[in-house]
Amino acid sequence: MSGSRSKATVLWAIVWFDLILLSLPTIIIFGASFTTGDIVQFPPEGFSLKWYSKLWLLDDFKAAFFRTFYVSLICTAVSIPAGTLAAIALSRYRIRFYTGLQVYLLLPFTIPLVVSGLGMMIFFGEIRILGQLWPVGIGLCIINLPFMIWAVSASVNGLDDQLENAAANCGAPPLQAFLTVTLPGVMPGVITGALLMFILAFNEFLVSLFLTDARIVTLPVSIYNSIRSVITPDLAAVSAVYIIIAFIAVLLLDKLVGLELFLKSK
Amino acid sequence: MSGFNDRVGTPLASAKQSSQFPVRWRILDAAERIAALIWPRSLYPYTGYLLLVPALLLVFVLVIGLVYIGGYSLHELDLSNYRLKESFSLTNYYTAFTSATYRTVLLRSIYASLLVTVITIFLAFPYAYLMVRARRAMTRKFLLISLFLPFFIGQIVRAYGWLIILGKEGLLNNIIGFFGFSPLKLIYNYPAVILGLVQYMLPFGVLLLAPAITAISRDVELASESLGAHWCRTFIHIVLPLAKPGLVGSSVVIFTLTLTDFAMPEILGGGTTDFIANSIYDGFFQLSNSGLGAALSMILVTLGTAFVVVIFSIAGTGTLGFSKGAE
Repeated sequence: MSGSRSKATVLWAIVWFDLILLSLPTIIIFGASFTTGDIVQFPPEGFSLKWYSKLWLLDDFKAAFFRTFYVSLICTAVSIPAGTLAAIALSRYRIRFYTGLQVYLLLPFTIPLVVSGLGMMIFFGEIRILGQLWPVGIGLCIINLPFMIWAVSASVNGLDDQLENAAANCGAPPLQAFLTVTLPGVMPGVITGALLMFILAFNEFLVSLFLTDARIVTLPVSIYNSIRSVITPDLAAVSAVYIIIAFIAVLLLDKLVGLELFLKSK
Repeated sequence: MSGFNDRVGTPLASAKQSSQFPVRWRILDAAERIAALIWPRSLYPYTGYLLLVPALLLVFVLVIGLVYIGGYSLHELDLSNYRLKESFSLTNYYTAFTSATYRTVLLRSIYASLLVTVITIFLAFPYAYLMVRARRAMTRKFLLISLFLPFFIGQIVRAYGWLIILGKEGLLNNIIGFFGFSPLKLIYNYPAVILGLVQYMLPFGVLLLAPAITAISRDVELASESLGAHWCRTFIHIVLPLAKPGLVGSSVVIFTLTLTDFAMPEILGGGTTDFIANSIYDGFFQLSNSGLGAALSMILVTLGTAFVVVIFSIAGTGTLGFSKGAE
């Protein structure tokens, strides 16, 4: 970094404030989940994994956890082909109404989540699929689809299009060129997008609130329903499970594509 | 018969030969033939549109939902049977605009969105800058992981974390009580909601600023500083203007996400600091007045869209564009 000492001091002061702000809730939840007492308090009472073992015995929690996992898998499985193909189309093919299509595909971001959720709730109710689990996965895929398209289109733009021409020149038919040149080339984007889609679906709350009911409640909604004014450690343990999953996802993303990918200028 | 070698080119020979090819090739060839059958060369100019079909269909679900909500908003609630009347009217919009409650909620949401956007960008800019410019890879990795971890932890869990810290029997009040002071009311108020929202938006802000800062050449900054400009001046006159695509992208995302947020005002505001989304939810599920809720939804959509359109037409899509990217 260039510049004076005062610059480093000021900037780092703000960044340390950011770091505390970003990690404080995470650290506190983690700490609270290990208490031996029945309520979260300071100074903490002892250290135990009792709330975690209780969690594992809780059928409601387990069921909600697996439902959330299932929903996130559907979301990811649908978004991979839809998002990848759309990203390739937008950056590799001559498309008319390019700007219009881009605006249309950004609708999941420009329509407020509360409105998207209500709209899907009404529509899914009309076609009689509300109350099932798979439409929740589809719904979560729709609202986060732009993330997938973004991730892949960054990869497509980084890929030299002469490679595809070269493959065609060497006699590769279109499908083969796609499968052996284009697809491996954009794989980092597909992996990034898929991981994002999974983790976002795993965490998504508002749209899930509209699309689930008591029978098929998913984990974020059930945490929301159990938040009371009294703070109990069992909820902290559930939240800590989220933190662990987020940590695994971050490490996975770093290992597979490198977090530095997000710093690249477009 | 003089052996198969003489007969290259006959059907029998080529069949014999192709069976010696690896299975993978044969499968690919078959797939290729099927593909050519379904999508012949004459359709090639339309391949791009074909690839877009799944994404377009998925997003179309939102359009259908929006049409339903638009329809609902035009029917007034019949108080005799709690259903929407058959006849069309603009009563719901009239109620939404004239009611003092909804005006307060609307203005509160807009004001909070501006506040959160300004605070978050002020906090996010140094983070993105130091992360991009970090000399040591370790520093950069540390900043990246500290950013992504909360990004991957949803709003509900993070709001719950703040509840543990700020709640009536929360950690801070416990500490205060430990030293013999009476507990403070740190939660269910406006500042708590703003705090929760800023913490939630920070990763979005940094991740949308970073690519724009990466695009700024260090040499430009060095040139400015070697000509004697104080680093503050360099920052304000060189770095900030060059980071415009990032500022546009991040402020649009932060503003619209805050404007439409539900969870933070609900959990950290506890009914005292409702935003539009909370009023919409209450309209549908507490008042059972889906018409009014739908009208508020349409107002929210219009407001958000208008903001995005204005910013984009003034400043371009910034770091938000799909592929052609920054200006």
